[in-house]
Amino acid sequence: MSAIDLALYLHFPWCVQKCPYCDFNSHALRSADADVPETAYVDALLRDLDFELAHTPEPRPLTSIFMGGGTPSLFSDRAIGRVLSEVNRRLAFAPDIEITLEANPGTAEAAHFAGYVAAGVNRLSMGVQSLDNALLKRLGRIHDRDEVFRAYELARAAGFGNINLDLMFALPEQTLAGAEADLRGVLGLAPEHLSYYQLTIEPNTAFGAMPPPLPDDELAWDIQEQGQRLLAEHGYAQYEVSAYARPGRRARHNLNYWHFGDYLGIGAGAHGKRSADGVVRRRARTKHPRAYLQHAGGPAAVQEDRIVGADELPIEFLMNGLRLNDGFAIADYADRTGLDWSTLAPAETARQRGLLAEADGRVRPTELGHRHLNGLLTLFL
Amino acid sequence: MRLDHIRNFCIIAHIDHGKSTLADRFIQLTGGLEEREMQAQVLDNNPIERERGITIKAQSVQLHYTARNGERYQFNLIDTPGHVDFSYEVSRSLEACEGALLVVDASQGVEAQSVANCYTALDQNLEVIPVLNKIDLQNAEPDRVREEIEQVIGISAADALKVSAKTGLGVADVLEEVVLRLPPPKGNPDGPLQALIVDSWFDNYLGVVSLVRVTSGSVKKGQKIRVMSTGRDHEITMLGVNAPKRLFKDELQCGEVGFIVAGIKDIFGAPVGDTLTAAGNPAGLEALPGFRTVQPRVFAGMFPVDADDFEDFRESLQKLRLNDSALQFEPENSTALGFGFRVGFLGMLHMDIVQERLEREYNLNLITTAPSVVYEVLRTDGDVVKVDNPAELPEPGSIDELREPIISARVLMPQSCVGPVMQLCMEKRGVQKNLRYLGSQVQMEVEMPMAEVVLDFFDRLKSVSRGYASFEYEFVRFQAADLVKLDVLVNGDKVDALATIVHRDNAYPRGRDLCERMQDVIHRQMFDIAIQAAIGAKIIARSTVKALRKDVTAKCYGGDASRKRKLLEKQKEGKKRMKQVGSVEIPQEAFLAVLGVDKKK
Repeated sequence: MSAIDLALYLHFPWCVQKCPYCDFNSHALRSADADVPETAYVDALLRDLDFELAHTPEPRPLTSIFMGGGTPSLFSDRAIGRVLSEVNRRLAFAPDIEITLEANPGTAEAAHFAGYVAAGVNRLSMGVQSLDNALLKRLGRIHDRDEVFRAYELARAAGFGNINLDLMFALPEQTLAGAEADLRGVLGLAPEHLSYYQLTIEPNTAFGAMPPPLPDDELAWDIQEQGQRLLAEHGYAQYEVSAYARPGRRARHNLNYWHFGDYLGIGAGAHGKRSADGVVRRRARTKHPRAYLQHAGGPAAVQEDRIVGADELPIEFLMNGLRLNDGFAIADYADRTGLDWSTLAPAETARQRGLLAEADGRVRPTELGHRHLNGLLTLFL
Repeated sequence: MRLDHIRNFCIIAHIDHGKSTLADRFIQLTGGLEEREMQAQVLDNNPIERERGITIKAQSVQLHYTARNGERYQFNLIDTPGHVDFSYEVSRSLEACEGALLVVDASQGVEAQSVANCYTALDQNLEVIPVLNKIDLQNAEPDRVREEIEQVIGISAADALKVSAKTGLGVADVLEEVVLRLPPPKGNPDGPLQALIVDSWFDNYLGVVSLVRVTSGSVKKGQKIRVMSTGRDHEITMLGVNAPKRLFKDELQCGEVGFIVAGIKDIFGAPVGDTLTAAGNPAGLEALPGFRTVQPRVFAGMFPVDADDFEDFRESLQKLRLNDSALQFEPENSTALGFGFRVGFLGMLHMDIVQERLEREYNLNLITTAPSVVYEVLRTDGDVVKVDNPAELPEPGSIDELREPIISARVLMPQSCVGPVMQLCMEKRGVQKNLRYLGSQVQMEVEMPMAEVVLDFFDRLKSVSRGYASFEYEFVRFQAADLVKLDVLVNGDKVDALATIVHRDNAYPRGRDLCERMQDVIHRQMFDIAIQAAIGAKIIARSTVKALRKDVTAKCYGGDASRKRKLLEKQKEGKKRMKQVGSVEIPQEAFLAVLGVDKKK
């Protein structure tokens, strides 16, 4: 029996409007007051899960569930409650299971918070992105600074004891002082976890088509260093490229990705990865919500189903494992890829160039390697 | 065919002055091809030739023209290569002709390249008929251009023909004038076989095919012939003409131009300019004059980006050489770039064409170093050696004298350009020899080190003259000069493929420019990169490529592994054209940055 953990990712593809930087599988609602097809979508999710489990039964208990989007908080607490209880009828929950829901920090969503807690959600992740109203507008966000504070307060009042806030930096025309104010404002809320990440301009987004004026590389780096210093001063330890946590508050669901664990991916455009008998299999669902609603529960909802070749396993493992400051245990590498770490030739090059370090049965990116992770990883391609 | 009913001629024209269009019209008017078979510009067979509007291999077309006197004439129209790099090939094509049409764009006037080729034609006693093309254009100035032809080339242009190859206007008159004004070929139809090899190329199905001009006797299918320079005998298996469709025949007679196939394995077995006789040369004929082997004058290192492609690269060069006897190559081992070849070319255009064909037709990913001319080194021990690779220049202590190739160049330009062009030539260490005012044009003769021409002269000339100056040159001699080797060091390592030989007076500015250019083209990496220019052990310039602060994808994209991988693969793809030198990745542009060092991009 494998010791690899199993997680569940549930995708909720709708947003009130699409942000110009976002290239995730999210779809704007037709009009502001249109409702998401809540019942139909939850039914589809459950049919899809049944299909997945019928294909390959799963005896392992879930160690985490992540409901991401899109904006899952557009779904009512009743709908989320039904999803979770129905999942639990099909899969066991580990006693310390982490159940996260992504929420927009708006007041409308906040009305559901107490219900989410009652439904079993025990971690809330809010996409704050900035506290500067002008920047929030530019980023296409529908909330403002005051709503962030109110939503956060309501989340605490509703009983959330574990909250993550997403904050971006190197935003259009952002200054070092502006970035500091943003971060200090968020630190003042004292969340358990912070994702502090640089805005990346992706192709096929509004920003990609018409890039805004961004801080140059030097300023972006100064902002990042300032942020790392501030976060450390406030007791947040960086454990991944963009993730910072109070002791004991690391995101279990994300850690499972980075540890190359297994996860079911259910929902429009969701990606899953499962390993059995030394074979790693990836499945992705059809992206468009309408097609997903129609086909969920059958093979037509599966857009991609492939076995990861032994030649691809090292890079797939390292793409995840080396994002962590602590790297990975060599034993886990063997366990999860079925391969021998000591025979991986590019590792020697990476060590010689001072990008990787090995000690106590673990492989870690050096400070240089962590900063230049893409360069380090291309060695293994 | 009686000799007096044959006309062998070529068209001399500058690029874009309408040579191919006119040839197409000739074919159309004489009924050589059905309308639907007319592919624009029949003569340029190779796609690169067609794109660039230049001819690399000589072709010939046989046309049958019924003149206004009712007699039927055989025309052999021989196409000539149209670039300064291929002047020897041009002279051999002209040798097969008795006459030439000098085609000049009536709106542009004469250009140096056609002037040079026209001089060669006159030297070889060809009758030249001036033809003013594009007469239909609004801005055509036939009178001015006629005057220019007389003043610059020195032939009468009073009865120059006015045509528009595009509309067909006046083209029929050209054919008639060819009969009336060009002399028929001479030669003894009953004499022993003697023929000139105008060009040779390799055909995948036939082997070596040679275009020949029979100067005496005749050549028959099945006949045994001798290639004079190799002394080898071969049996003719096929011969014929292009009319313009390939037409096999039993015999090529005295005065005719056609192709032969004789089971010759490579083009070195049938060199351009060589003489054919009957097997054993029983009549003891002399070789036709003018034959020589061509010498490459420009050399560059070419290296496969992926070391695994080395054998493919060798094979591709060998295939190219089947058709290009001027192409020379030998293996080169660079510490920076690994295993590749030192390749010799006739000139810059030739190099461009070869590089393009290797990449396009053979799908090779190559890094080409800056081209170098061939230097002559008089060593202290009295030996004279040729050096075509700056990295292989002997230590200064063992050099008694370093000599560089000098060319004599002829620049033809409008008067308004004389100042800037003269200044450019001086900057390029040129010595003016002659300046002639010829109507509205000025012809300047200048001697210049060839190394300066290889550097960036063509581009600079184009820009200072706004495209109006034209240029042709020939090698004249080696001449001693105060030259030094300029090395480039990247993070302290000498990069052999970046070394150049420069004049001492230019070394400092060039070193500084080079460092700046390298700083621009070398991407920021994980660490600072020091770039230094040095003469011997002395550093004369430096620059630094500052380290990239970070290179990491901020978001982890949840469970979607494939998209992150695509990002990485894209990044890896970008490194494909880079070469790892020590720990530094150097892009292809860096190796060519040496080229454009004088002025900013």
